[in-house]
Amino acid sequence: MSWLGRLVSRTLARDLSAFFVPGPEVVRARALDPRAAGLDFSPTPRHANVLVVVGQVPESLREAAAVAYAQMPRPRAVLAVGAEDVLPLPVPDVSVGPDQDELVAGVAKLRRRFAEGSFGPTAEPFEPAALRSRTEYTCPMHPEVVQGEPGTCPRCGMDLVPRETAEAGAAENADHEGHVQHEDTDHGAEATESGEGRAGHSRQDIEAEHEGAQHTEGSVEHGGAHGHEGRADHDGGHGGTDHDGEDHALEDHGGMDHGDMEFMSMVEMTEGTPRSSDGLQMEWVEAPFGPLFQGLPGGLSLILTLDGDTVAEAKAASTVAVQSREDPRGPIGEFVERFAELDPLAPVSYRLLAMRAVESATGVKPADEVTLARVGALERERAVSHLNWMAGFGYLIGYSWLAKRAEVLQLALLRTGNEGTARISTEVRRLVRRLERTPLLRRKLDGVGVVPDLDGASGPVARADGRSIDARVGEDAYRSLGFEPVVVEGGDALARLRVRLAETERSLQLVEKVGGASASGAVPENASAGRGEATLETPRGAATLAVTLESGEVVVVELHTPSTGHIELIGPVTEQRELGDALTGVASLDLSPWEVTR
Amino acid sequence: MTTVIVVFALIVGAYLVAVLEAWTTTGRLSFASPLLSGIALLGRESIVPRKSDRIFFEVGPVLLLVSAVLAAAVLPLAPGLIVADLATGALFVNAALAYVMVALVMAGWGPDGAYAMVGGFRFLGQLIGYSMPIVMAIVGVAMRAESLLTTAIVESQAALPNAIYQPAGFVVFSVAAMSVCFLPPFDLPTAPGELAGGTMAEYTGWRLAVVRLARAVLVVTLAAAITVFYLGGWNGPVLPPWAWTAAKTLAVAAVMLVAGRYVPRVREEHMLAWYWKIGIPLALLNILYVGVVLVVGEPSSMSM
Amino acid sequence: MILQTIFIGLFGLAAIWFAVVVFRTYSMVRSALALLFSQAALGAMFLAMEAEFLGVLQIMMMATEMSIMAIFMVMFMMDPGGLGEMDMTHQKRVSQVAGVLGAFAALGVAFLAGWGTPAKSAPGPQAQLRGLGLDLMERSMLIFETAGVTILTAMIAATAVAVATRGATEQKEEGE
Repeated sequence: MSWLGRLVSRTLARDLSAFFVPGPEVVRARALDPRAAGLDFSPTPRHANVLVVVGQVPESLREAAAVAYAQMPRPRAVLAVGAEDVLPLPVPDVSVGPDQDELVAGVAKLRRRFAEGSFGPTAEPFEPAALRSRTEYTCPMHPEVVQGEPGTCPRCGMDLVPRETAEAGAAENADHEGHVQHEDTDHGAEATESGEGRAGHSRQDIEAEHEGAQHTEGSVEHGGAHGHEGRADHDGGHGGTDHDGEDHALEDHGGMDHGDMEFMSMVEMTEGTPRSSDGLQMEWVEAPFGPLFQGLPGGLSLILTLDGDTVAEAKAASTVAVQSREDPRGPIGEFVERFAELDPLAPVSYRLLAMRAVESATGVKPADEVTLARVGALERERAVSHLNWMAGFGYLIGYSWLAKRAEVLQLALLRTGNEGTARISTEVRRLVRRLERTPLLRRKLDGVGVVPDLDGASGPVARADGRSIDARVGEDAYRSLGFEPVVVEGGDALARLRVRLAETERSLQLVEKVGGASASGAVPENASAGRGEATLETPRGAATLAVTLESGEVVVVELHTPSTGHIELIGPVTEQRELGDALTGVASLDLSPWEVTR
Repeated sequence: MTTVIVVFALIVGAYLVAVLEAWTTTGRLSFASPLLSGIALLGRESIVPRKSDRIFFEVGPVLLLVSAVLAAAVLPLAPGLIVADLATGALFVNAALAYVMVALVMAGWGPDGAYAMVGGFRFLGQLIGYSMPIVMAIVGVAMRAESLLTTAIVESQAALPNAIYQPAGFVVFSVAAMSVCFLPPFDLPTAPGELAGGTMAEYTGWRLAVVRLARAVLVVTLAAAITVFYLGGWNGPVLPPWAWTAAKTLAVAAVMLVAGRYVPRVREEHMLAWYWKIGIPLALLNILYVGVVLVVGEPSSMSM
Repeated sequence: MILQTIFIGLFGLAAIWFAVVVFRTYSMVRSALALLFSQAALGAMFLAMEAEFLGVLQIMMMATEMSIMAIFMVMFMMDPGGLGEMDMTHQKRVSQVAGVLGAFAALGVAFLAGWGTPAKSAPGPQAQLRGLGLDLMERSMLIFETAGVTILTAMIAATAVAVATRGATEQKEEGE
C-alpha cells in the first residue's frame, strides 16, 4: 500500500460517522454514548460510513436498514451492538454487546480495520433484492399509460419516458393479468412515486414501486384498451392528430405529425389529478420519512404526500409493531422478562406492567415498600424517557443546545444511583428556566400539532390539552406521596413540551421522596390459572395489560398501549401543514413505534 | 498578485470557519480536523444518484463556490488589496450572492430526491424573504459613502463604523446574511432534523468536500461583507489594516456560527412574515434616517 | 477594443445558445434556468460594453426573477412539476411565423433606425452611475415612480385576489 493510501485509510479511520438503526433514541435509552466512543452522528446514510445496529430489531426494519446500507458510500462497515441476527444486512464487521465499554472497544477495533484499509472502495457491491430494478416506459401526461418498451403515448402522442421500478415476482404478475380497468387516481401517486420516492431511506417506497410494477403488467396486456379510452376522452383536444386506434400502444408512430397538435388546455391535462386545499391542481410527491428517518423515532414509518412543502396526506404505520416481533407468551418468569423488552424506550414500565398483571391474576399483593420502590423506578424512567424525547425533539427542531443538554442529563440520570438524583434535579430546573427564556422557541411551537379531537389520547398528550387524565391519581402509593398530575392548557407542541418539562421535574422530586427503597419484588411462580388486568401510567400514557394464566404459563395477552391510539393523531397533526411544522407536530406526540399493537 | 493573496486569504478563512464549525457541533477544537476530514472525504466513494439530472447535480456545488468567490472579489481586505474595485461593488456583492439560490435550487433538483428538492425550494422561499431587506440595507450604507465603491464605503467609516451609525441596517443585514449562507437558525434547505441534510444530503465523497468548501467560503464572504459594510473594514488602531479585516471577519463568522445553536430553527412562514413586516419597514426607516442625518448633519451624540 | 468585440460576440452567442436550449430541453426547471443563463449572458454583454451598472443589475435581477418563474411553473403547471419530461414547444406553425416576423422587425429596426454617430468612448463607470442617478431623480423620476407604484399595486391586488379565492373555497367547503 502506498503512503497516500495509508494516509487516506488513517483519516477514514479517524472520521467515523454513524447511521443508527433503529434510531438515536434507542441508543440513548440503552445508556450508550456513541459520541464518547468516537462515533459522530449522521442524519443520512449518504454521509455515514458505519451502520450501527443497536439491539435485536425485527426483520422489516432490517430490510429498511439494508436499503440504507446500500445507499452508504464505500468504504462502509456494519457495527452490531447487541444484535445477533442482522440479515439481510451483510455479516457485521464488528459485533459487540450492548454496553458502553464494549462499544468503545468495538469502535477502536473498527478504527483499526479502517486504518488497515480493510474496506477499500473496491469492496464488492451490496444490493438487496428490494433494490433490483427494471425499466418501463410511461407518458409524462398520462401516468396510467405504462408499457415495457419505448414508444409514444396513445392518448396524446408524446414520447414515452423511461422510469425504474422494482422487479415484481412472477406470481404477482400472474395475479394481475386480469386487470383491464385502471382508475386514474390509482396511478397518479405512482407516477410521482417513481420520480421521487427513491430518495428516501425506507422500505415503503420500494413496496409502493412493487405495486407500480403489478399495474404495469395489466397496462401492457391491455394497452390497446387504454388507447381507445383515451381517444374517446380526448378527441377534441387532439383534433389534428392521426390516431390509429388499433396499434398505437405498442407500435411506433414515426408517421404521426406532432407539429399540428393543438396546445393542450390545463383543464384537460390535469383531469383526474388531485386538488390541493387552495383549489389548484398539482402534482403530489410522496416522500418517506422513516422507518429510519433520524428526526423521528426509529421504526415509525411515515409517508407524507407533499404538495409543494405542504403535507397533503399522511400515512403512518409502525414497522416494529408488537405483532411483528417475538411472541411474549410462555412461562411467567420468561413472560415478564420478554415483556420488559417489548419497548426498548420504556423497559421498566413494561416490566412493571407485566408484573402487575401477573400479580393481579395470581392474587399476590406486593408489600408496601416494594410498591414504593416501584414508584421510584417508574418515575425515574419517566424522567429519563422525557429527557430522551427532548433530545430528539431538540434535534428535529434544530435547537442543538437543547438536544445536547437533554442527552447529557438523560445519560447522567440513567447511569447515576439515587445519590446523584438531587444534582440532576437542579440541572433539570435550570433547563426548564432556560427553555422558558429561549427566543423563538415559543413562536416555533405555538399552534403546531393541534388536534381537534383528542378523546382517544392519554398521557402527556392529553394532559397538555387541559385534561386531567392520569392513571397514577388512583394509586395509593402516589396518593401517599401527595401526587398531583401536571395539566397544561394549549393542546399544541408547546404545551406538550411544557407538560413533559414539568413532569420531569415532578418525577425527579418523587424519586427523591421515595429515596433508597430498592426492592423490586419477585415474580410469582406458583400460580396455576386465572385472569388478571393491570393499568400503568407509562411515560407516554396509560397502558393496560390483561393476561390469562394456565398452569403457570401465560396463554392469552391483551394489550392496550398509548402509542397505538396516538399514531392515529398523525393524520390531523400533519395534514395541510408545512412540512417542518408537520414533523414537529408528529415528534411532539412522543410516539413509541415499539408499543404499537397493530 | 492581489488575486493570489485574496484567494489565499479566502482559503485560510474557509479553513478557520471549518475549524470553528467543527468546534461548535462536536465540541472538539482541532486545527487539523478539516484537513483530515477533507482527505477522508476524498478517500470515499462519490455516488451519483441513479436518476439524477447530471448537469444540475454537478454544477450546483461549483456555482455555489463561484458565486461566493465572485462576491468576495469586490470586498477590500486592506487599502489596495481588492481583486476588482468595481464602481458598482456594493451592488455586485448582491448580484453574485443571488446565484447562491440558483446553485441551491440546482443542487436540490439534481439528485432527483424528495428531501433535496424540498430543500432547494425552501431556499427559494427564503430568498423571497431576505433579498429585499439585504439590498435596502446596502442602500443605507451606500448613501452614507455616497458611492457604491466598497473601498469608499470602508473609508466613509473611518470616524464611526456603520454598525453604530445605522444600527437598524446593521441588524437587518446581519440577519439576512445568515439567511444567505443558510446557517442555523435559517438552515431550512439543509435542516438535518427535518430533511436529513436536504440539498446536501445526496452529495458524497469529493463532491461533498466541494459542497462543504463552498459553504465555508460563503460564510467567510458574508462575514467579510458585514465587516466591510458595517464594521469599518480595515479601519482600526495599532494593528495593520489586513489584520483588522481578518480579526473582524473571523469574529463575525464565529458569532454567526455559534448563535444558531441557542435558538430553534425558524419556521418558514414566520421568517417570511418577519422579513416583510419588520425587516423591510426597518430597512426603509433606516434609509430615511440616514437620509435625514446626511442632510441635517451628524448629531453630536453620534460622533461620541 | 478587439478583445471587447470578441467578448461581446462570445456572450451574445452564449445568450442565443441558452435561448435555444430553453426549447430544446424536456424539463421545466431546466428550461427556466436556461432562460436565466441566457439573460445572464446578456448582462455579461452589457459588462463587456462597459455598461457596468446595467450589466450587474441585469445579472442580479434575472437570478431572482427566473428562479421565481421556475418555482411558479413547477407549482402551477400540470404534470410533473417538471419531474417528468415534457415538450417545451407547442403551436409550432404560429410560433414559426411569429419568430420570422419578429426577426425581420428587429433587423428592420437595427438597420433602418437612425442611431446617430457612435460615441468615441464610454464614460467611466463612476460617471455612468452619477448620470444614471441624476436621470432617475430628475427627468425620469415621474415615470419610474409611476411604474413602481403600478407594479406594487398589481402585486397587492394579485395577492388579495388569491387570498379572496381561498376564503371563498373554504366557505364553500363549510357550506357543503
